[in-house]
Amino acid sequence: MRKSLLLLVSLLVAASMVLTACGGAATEAPAPTEAPAAPAEQPTAAPAAPAEKEVLNVWSFTNEIKTMATAFEGKHPDVDVVYTMIPMTNGEYQTKLKASLGTADVPDVVALEAAFVKEWVEADFLADLNDLLPLTEELKTFPAVVQVGANEGVSKGFSYQATPGGFFYRRSIAKECLGTDDPAAVQAMVADLDKFVETAAKIKECSAGKTFMVGTSAELFNPFLANRAQPWVVDDTLVIDPKVEEYVAFAKLMRDNGYESQATQWTEGWFAGMSDTLKDAEGNPVRVFSYFLPTWGLPYVLQPNSGETGGDWALIDGPMAYQWGGTWVGAMADSPNLDMAKEFIKFVALDEENLTNWATGVYTNEYLKAIDPETPEDQKQAPGDFVSSQVVVEKITPEFDGSALYDWLGGQNNYEAFGKAAPKVNGALMTGSDDAIQRAMNDPLASYLLGDITEAEFWQQWLDAVQNLFPELTIPEPPVTG
Amino acid sequence: MRTGRLSTTSYGYLFIAPFIIGFLLFGLYPVYNTLALSLTNTTMMTREAHFIGLENFKRLFADDFFMKAVTNSWLIWLLNFIPQIGIALLLSAWFMNIRLKIRAVGMWRTLFFLPNLLMPAAVAALFFSLFSYYGPANQLMVTAGLQSEAIHYLQKIATTRGLLVFIQWWTWFGWTTIIIMAGMTAIPIHLFEAAMVDGASAGQMFTQITLPLLKPILIFVFVTSLVGGMTMFDIPFLLTDGRGSPASSIMTNNILMYLKFSSSKGHIAFASSVGVLVFIMTTVCALGIFYFLRDREGKATAVPETAPASPPGKGRQPA
Repeated sequence: MRKSLLLLVSLLVAASMVLTACGGAATEAPAPTEAPAAPAEQPTAAPAAPAEKEVLNVWSFTNEIKTMATAFEGKHPDVDVVYTMIPMTNGEYQTKLKASLGTADVPDVVALEAAFVKEWVEADFLADLNDLLPLTEELKTFPAVVQVGANEGVSKGFSYQATPGGFFYRRSIAKECLGTDDPAAVQAMVADLDKFVETAAKIKECSAGKTFMVGTSAELFNPFLANRAQPWVVDDTLVIDPKVEEYVAFAKLMRDNGYESQATQWTEGWFAGMSDTLKDAEGNPVRVFSYFLPTWGLPYVLQPNSGETGGDWALIDGPMAYQWGGTWVGAMADSPNLDMAKEFIKFVALDEENLTNWATGVYTNEYLKAIDPETPEDQKQAPGDFVSSQVVVEKITPEFDGSALYDWLGGQNNYEAFGKAAPKVNGALMTGSDDAIQRAMNDPLASYLLGDITEAEFWQQWLDAVQNLFPELTIPEPPVTG
Repeated sequence: MRTGRLSTTSYGYLFIAPFIIGFLLFGLYPVYNTLALSLTNTTMMTREAHFIGLENFKRLFADDFFMKAVTNSWLIWLLNFIPQIGIALLLSAWFMNIRLKIRAVGMWRTLFFLPNLLMPAAVAALFFSLFSYYGPANQLMVTAGLQSEAIHYLQKIATTRGLLVFIQWWTWFGWTTIIIMAGMTAIPIHLFEAAMVDGASAGQMFTQITLPLLKPILIFVFVTSLVGGMTMFDIPFLLTDGRGSPASSIMTNNILMYLKFSSSKGHIAFASSVGVLVFIMTTVCALGIFYFLRDREGKATAVPETAPASPPGKGRQPA
């Protein structure tokens, strides 16, 4: 009977092994599609087997590229783009991507946000895309876009966006408190930081403290960072640029003087300021004069949340030139469908027709539904996102005269304004650890602004947090010591 | 007849085999692997890794983040576990009391258990919105005159910790109540009847009969809750900014582990060293609970084993 027990247990073990083997086979299923990659070039040649579509796995942290994925399927009926969206609110996307490395789950194409694109470009998991470089010359892709996606002469990612920053203000408030709503005149009033603070004081006084200059001073973090002389990390040492110190002092000044609404960025209160529906704790309405947002902030953030305030906004350069965000696309070197992945990247970031369609609102819901009937109702691409190709930008700029965005901006062409700012963007300041270093600052800075800790404690807490995240990094002495 | 007896035994082995195999694959191997990883400098973003001995552990003790995480985990667990077990015992005693004759016990039990069914992500998002600067909590408190002005609840150490403790308590006391009631149901009613005949008070019955006979259940609640508390992650991670802010006051062991993993090229080895230390700490404490709550007289009590096989739902552990 002992034998039968042994037999039973071994049978069970064997069964479980078969089961796990099946599981393994299932996850590796996309692998066999490696072979048809080549014939995919001539789709009409193999009409005999139309059922077998080549699968391309695309991961992203927004639904933006999903629209392009559908458009891509329209051009390549033989490809099935499987789109996976993972939010990056607290870094979930980056973690999931790291965890997929070396497994069968690794995607073919990945979207990489400005805050962490360098981390991937500097590591050796992305495919070399240098053979696409001639296209960037043809399209006159903005230099910073190419620069950010490359490391040591190897291009590993391209973006369909260029993301220079702007300064959006409420015309009615400007007229009421500053005496004019003319963009040129208002620009003169916020041309540098001293003037910016003066104007903030004027607006506070004129509204008896019920109108704030900005939603939160955190919006100015990117402008300050864009004007640093050095990136965060040089030779494995953390650099505290004077601009970082200036930012901390500026944030404190804005808080202490009541020039900011104290709403946290990306929370309900911050959005409510855009539609003029913000109410303080006593239920009294309060207003926000301006928002610092880049190109994508206009069609994706400010305009959709602006409610009744459309037409009351204007766009100027603000006190500092900057850039903020952007999405790069790269291919995983381990991808079994590398050729198709490159084809996808080419379509997304380096295709004149696609970029034009993307920016001008050709990808309506009806357009996408004609390609894929299962496209959800809310999926579409409204016009206005700013693209990375100077050729396309110049071609479509006149189209924005008289568009809905033009009316929303009270008669301003956003494309023209951003088109002037885009070539000036500096891509050299980004390094791989930016995201984590900058995120680590939020919490101690909030405590410092609240007055819960001293400035010396703030610097110490932030530096400790950075060291905790990057044990290998050399950390300098804090600029202010207790 | 020897064969018959053996075949019964072998059926036993057969029935526990799936658990043993599952445990070896998904329980023991990860522990071993974590231990092995913690002695290397493996990261997700670089392909090569070396054995570096106890370097990770040395680094961990060099800054005070690990001790902070351990302190936070214990503090948050104790602050929510003490009221949790207290309220659960009280509610169970009331519900089970034949003299009180509380009506609709089933409904109350369900109501108290409901928060446990909510997704942690939803609960965290709810509290984040409620207690944001421009959120309803501030408006309510200011208009009611309880606060002079709006407060950044989630940027203050005391209020953030308080909220976290409340959420943990609120989502888990119903679960604990149900487990304890299950344990109480198993106590033979004749013991209480005999005590009543002898003129025992309700308090005496509780301390002399209910509590001692509940011991196995209490050990179960204690240990699962301890494990849950030491590995608490989802709510504190989602409540603020994923780093346990403000001032790392709700950074628990697992958040620290996650931080180590998610930064610096995915330092999985460093994260493993946190995991190993938490594992050791939790094991020692769980063994301690078994030791101190063991049956000292060594005689078998009449309590049937009613502890449920595993905590319910989503692989979460009560905290």
